[in-house]
Amino acid sequence: MGMEQAWLIPAIPAAAFAILLIFGPYLPRRGDWLAIAAIGASFVLVFPVLADLLDRADGTTYVAGEKAWEWISFDLGSVGETFEIEIGFYVDPITIVMLAVVTLVALMVQVYSIAYMKGDSRYGWYFTVMSLFAASMLTLVLANNLLLLYAGWEAVGFCSFLLIGFWWEKRSAAEAAKKAFITTRVGDVGLLIGIIMLWHEGPNTFNIQEIIHFAEGGGYGDTYLTAAVLFLFMGALGKSGQFPLHVWLPDAMEGPTPVSALIHAATMVVAGVYLVARMLPLFEVADPIALNVVLIVGLITVMLSATMGLAATDIKRVIAYSTLNSLGLMFVALGSSAVAAAMLYLFVHGFFKALLFLGAGSVIHATEEQDMNRLGGLAAKMPITAATFAIGTLAMIGLVPLSGFWAKDEVLVFAEEEQHVIVYLVLLSSLAITGLYMARLFVRTFLFAPREQATYDHAHEGGALITVPLLILGLLAAVGGFVVFDEVGEALGFPGGFAQFVFLHEAHQFDFQLDTAITSTVLAGGGAVVGWVLWQGKAELAARIRDAFSPISTLLANRYYVDEVYQFAIDRVVLVLGGIIAWFDRVVINDRGVNGSAYIAYFTGLEARLLQTGRIPNYALAIVVGILILAIVMLVTQV
Amino acid sequence: MIPIDNFLVLSAILFSLGMYGVLARRNAVLILMSVELMLQAVVINFVAFAVYLDPEAFTGIIFAVFVIVIAAAEAGLALAIILRLFRNRQISNVDEANLMKW
Amino acid sequence: MDLVLLALIVIPLAVCPLFMLIPSQYPQLSRYLAALAGTALLVLSALVFIVYEFDGGSGLRFELQWDWLENIGFLGENGITFYLGVDGVGAPLVLLNGIVIFAAVFVSWNITHRTKDFFILLFLLVSGVYGVFISQDLFFFFFWYEVAVLPMYLLIAVWGASSEFPTFSRPKEYGAMKLTMMLVGGSVLIFIAIFALFVEAGAGTFDMTVLREQSLDEDFQKWVYPLFMVGFGVLAGMWPLHTWSPDGHVAAPTGVSMLHAGVLMKLGAFGILRVGMTLLPEGAEFWAPVLMALGVTGAVYGSVSALAQTDLKYMVGYSSVSHMGFVLMGLASMTQIGVNGAVLQMFAHGAMTALMFTNVGALYDQAHIRDMTQFGGIAKRMPRHSAFFAIAGLSSLGLPGLAGFVAEFHIFVGVFRAGYWWAGGLGILSAAITATYVLRMLARAYFGPLNDKWDGLKEMRLGEQFAGAVLIAMILFMGLWPAPFIDRISETVEMIPGITG
Repeated sequence: MGMEQAWLIPAIPAAAFAILLIFGPYLPRRGDWLAIAAIGASFVLVFPVLADLLDRADGTTYVAGEKAWEWISFDLGSVGETFEIEIGFYVDPITIVMLAVVTLVALMVQVYSIAYMKGDSRYGWYFTVMSLFAASMLTLVLANNLLLLYAGWEAVGFCSFLLIGFWWEKRSAAEAAKKAFITTRVGDVGLLIGIIMLWHEGPNTFNIQEIIHFAEGGGYGDTYLTAAVLFLFMGALGKSGQFPLHVWLPDAMEGPTPVSALIHAATMVVAGVYLVARMLPLFEVADPIALNVVLIVGLITVMLSATMGLAATDIKRVIAYSTLNSLGLMFVALGSSAVAAAMLYLFVHGFFKALLFLGAGSVIHATEEQDMNRLGGLAAKMPITAATFAIGTLAMIGLVPLSGFWAKDEVLVFAEEEQHVIVYLVLLSSLAITGLYMARLFVRTFLFAPREQATYDHAHEGGALITVPLLILGLLAAVGGFVVFDEVGEALGFPGGFAQFVFLHEAHQFDFQLDTAITSTVLAGGGAVVGWVLWQGKAELAARIRDAFSPISTLLANRYYVDEVYQFAIDRVVLVLGGIIAWFDRVVINDRGVNGSAYIAYFTGLEARLLQTGRIPNYALAIVVGILILAIVMLVTQV
Repeated sequence: MIPIDNFLVLSAILFSLGMYGVLARRNAVLILMSVELMLQAVVINFVAFAVYLDPEAFTGIIFAVFVIVIAAAEAGLALAIILRLFRNRQISNVDEANLMKW
Repeated sequence: MDLVLLALIVIPLAVCPLFMLIPSQYPQLSRYLAALAGTALLVLSALVFIVYEFDGGSGLRFELQWDWLENIGFLGENGITFYLGVDGVGAPLVLLNGIVIFAAVFVSWNITHRTKDFFILLFLLVSGVYGVFISQDLFFFFFWYEVAVLPMYLLIAVWGASSEFPTFSRPKEYGAMKLTMMLVGGSVLIFIAIFALFVEAGAGTFDMTVLREQSLDEDFQKWVYPLFMVGFGVLAGMWPLHTWSPDGHVAAPTGVSMLHAGVLMKLGAFGILRVGMTLLPEGAEFWAPVLMALGVTGAVYGSVSALAQTDLKYMVGYSSVSHMGFVLMGLASMTQIGVNGAVLQMFAHGAMTALMFTNVGALYDQAHIRDMTQFGGIAKRMPRHSAFFAIAGLSSLGLPGLAGFVAEFHIFVGVFRAGYWWAGGLGILSAAITATYVLRMLARAYFGPLNDKWDGLKEMRLGEQFAGAVLIAMILFMGLWPAPFIDRISETVEMIPGITG
């Protein structure tokens, strides 16, 4: 079992999906065990693949493993080339990081789902789609060519459509599912154009490594490459919910909470980050505009989402905004060419965000309530959930020594060293706001007096199926960040540590700077403390501030009206355009063009029929006159 | 021998009379009779040319017989139609037989 | 095996008199006979597809040539021959026709009005479609083309359904008449072009394999190719001559819609490729930008129009216009990848649109309306039906793993390769618009709370489920393992003059 067998990792859940789809209803327990066993097997298989990768490494130079089958292949006769599309898998350190996160989080989420989804009328269907989802995401991660990546990408989007709309009887869930799929699809238009552009001028292959190699050799024109990578980035925008295509992500909370944990925190949305990380050499070869676009988009998203998080009251939505916030941070890191920092953040984010969502799920499961204005004081009733949720919250805020701190700090160091000071300042201020709204979330949900006694009385800690995944994820969220230390990395078996492991080009180490760390900790911790103070008890202080700045709070509560702008654009522009074209088709092309020409024929006949008088003498006269004319013509011409 | 011109003139006069009848009459029976006149004019032409051009051959004369037979058949058919028309609609005027007209 | 192509034409023709022998008070017998004939055609079509293997030359297999008229007047040696043969482009389309007629028979199980007459016309039409796909003689090509078009008038006018809309009405006779008139109008252009081609070539034969060897004057090609392009384009739903298609589909009974959108529209595109581009390569090259522009316009225009429809059949009808626009784009790219994609798209669209019409028909039979805004949550009552519709929709929006993606992807790559950046971009955008209208339809009609009015809906009939399952199997087959299709198509396409790499 080595890297060449890595294809088994997505293949097992895919097989489980096929079996569940066909035989699911006939299996005991609707086959949930099969789905979990499959994803568990995938998780276990990551380790031999990792071991193989490390075995083959020469010091800190990693040899990637690749395995490909031909899928489509035909000769282009006139030019002597072959058009080839492969189903191929490629394993390198970035892949391994992604695999570990995806399989572990998926496993935790599925175990958790046994309890959470118990009694649902589509219990079996849930696990069926979950298997497909895991298989698609793993395919996306392992793909060695852009086309297979695109296939996994779209399949992930489709699964998210199914899972967000899992309770499709709810109108809002059906709409949210539709919105998610269409919004990401808009980005995918760009992705597909980008892929075809890279192929068109490129080395007649979709293989990612060959394209990167070709680009680094200067094969593409500068402008061309910039355009192509920006199109690729459009796909990442949609999938990772970056501004301006972020609107689907908060709405996507309509799905079951474990789905939110899996899709909208740990795996699917980071696909965009993964894509950019994977293709980063292209961004670097292209015009600097490309990386700057990534950076700016990331920054805008960070600020927008942090402020929107302040106004949301649905606990899942707050976490969704924090996800946007984190993703923005990853894009800022990528925009600064800091792959290792971005991947580290992705790695730890997977744990603490899944933890937060599952914790929220535990609350929702226990209270059937997700509006934090009706919760409160749950820590007494649900100690494990509260404790683990606190770890997740602090990791998200980024306090020493939890995992979020180390990852966030890396991004900050890069931003400070490589980018304009404004970038750094914006990031710092976003940290403070993050502290504020995450503290608000925790305080309002778990501390102080309950706001609704009935809900509070109803609450109880979930069973082991719910608490054990929380505890595991809580542990990882707490200690996951320590991989930044090279010593830890080496102890875990990565020669040269984690940074070396994921960094693509040259040797690189994590950089720890005390001043940055202190600044960020003070700001984030300060934000959290201020949040605590503001929202403690009955949150009178926060209410006063909200009222004092009512235009701003209204703006935030309405999510900057971006949704409204889109809704307006769709209702008033797209649908009206559709209506105009449909009208044009019916009235102009059909009624005027088609029926019009038919009417011309009809009208001609209407007039011409008057020649047919129906009187025999008229016809006879016409015959005679005709003969006479013919006779005269003959006479004239013959003489 | 009588010159052929005489026959041709006679034929032309008969034909013109017939044609006038077809064009000017409204009564179906009279039109039918006029048509017969025209046919007989043609028959005279056939016979005259047959005798003058090649007395040995009977082609023209045979044709004349054909025309007479067909004229008889046609007259029978046409009279039948006229009778039906008269039975059904009490008309013999062709102008009034306009059922098929738009 | 040599007679397999002949059987494809003869079987549907031969069952027509058999239907006449069945007394009309036993409609069930007619249905069984139809099912039998449909199965036979499916088996033979699959056989043709499986056994077909490229073996050099123009790629024709299972050839069969019988003299019909020669050495008379303007006809020389082998003037008009009954010449059958299938190449790599024809083989998948033969398979498609077999699948669609097979499915259509089961979908038409509930036809009670003049059952046997319906099947007679249906099989007559099918024999025409087969004839077009496998005729190698231009004269018979045209003959079968007409055979395929004309029964449609009766099928729609007798068994169709009239529709009333708030602002306009579409009687079935209108749809039938418009369809027939427009298609016959296209045939006139084709007819003229065929004779012009015959005279200009001066070979005294209608044999296409001979005609393609003739080098025709370039100016002549430029004049005549548009006749083929527009004439066949009408049947291919080429913008702006597409309006017969939505109205015709709306008026037609389900089984006929399936055949019509599924295979009949492919005849047009097939004609452009087989006759236009193969015999007049320089003309095709000259007019390619125009065809590309019309194809892109159709693709975008069709999808945007579909977005505005609330009637399910109109939506599917306009989506056909959009997808046939993709086919025309692929053909117009004149690259091997693009043309391969166009042929793949013919197959993919045939299967998925037949599936869509199956679904719409199944719903309409129960609900008697097709306005999607009147439904809601019916997935609860018709789960399989909803799943089938969703699969068809996902294939049409190009979800990887389903047939539509493989085809569309090749088309886009080909279009980019030919240098039509704008067209490729707009085409991909049109695929995104497709996602919008498909999902909008699903969200409106199938998801959300169940509208109490539709509490009594039942799952679609077993026959329809069976037909749908066969079509889905094909969609998955091509989506997951397209190699068998591409291997057959590509080598034949490579032989077409004027196709670049």
